[in-house]
Amino acid sequence: MVETKKLAMVVAEGTFDKSMMPFIMGVTAASMGWEVHIFFTFFGLSILKKGAKPKMGGFYRFFTGMMENRMKKVGLEPLKEQIETARELGIHMYACSTSMSVMGVKKDDLVDGAEIVGAAKFLDLAADSDVQLFIG
Amino acid sequence: MYERPVINTIIEQTYIIGDNMEANESLDAVGLSCPMPIVKLAKRTKELNIGDVLELKVDDVGAKEDVPSWCKNTGNEYLGMEEEGSLMKFYIKKLE
Repeated sequence: MVETKKLAMVVAEGTFDKSMMPFIMGVTAASMGWEVHIFFTFFGLSILKKGAKPKMGGFYRFFTGMMENRMKKVGLEPLKEQIETARELGIHMYACSTSMSVMGVKKDDLVDGAEIVGAAKFLDLAADSDVQLFIG
Repeated sequence: MYERPVINTIIEQTYIIGDNMEANESLDAVGLSCPMPIVKLAKRTKELNIGDVLELKVDDVGAKEDVPSWCKNTGNEYLGMEEEGSLMKFYIKKLE
């Protein structure tokens, strides 16, 4: 039996590219049998809001649609489906409680399955992980 | 006559390694980019029986390193791969 590895990610930005990365990485890790924890904080929190449609950063926001089409062509699903896949694979998605207060985000605004935690809980999980990544 | 060496025999199924590897299951991930071939591979492997050999067809270059890594992480056996132009065929035996 292979030992289960653990991946912990922090997502601090909410642009299109930074919303896809944690799910691509997370879904891959879960497919390899890893346990996955993703902590969405600051602008990253917007990714966990229901119906979120992140745009590319800065001037590139005008090319978001083009990017989505290109990703579709190579078999990558849009954010909504990625979140569903993540949920099916048992990936843990955490919303930062402080960011929720700062951004005025309520629990009902978040996608199903999102758990609200503070920094201490996430650090506890991260300390116990084999791989820690920061996406920001 | 040349006989190809038999590497494993499991209930009426014989897997042969030689010029061509033989599989009893197949998965087509041509046209898909990382990580979709791996995601599909993981899903499909769940449905297989222990000892089954899966042939995975991919044309994403990243798969060359990804598939062996996936096997190492999931405890399945990587039997090898064949290349036909840009098409790669991986052979994976389900162990766990």
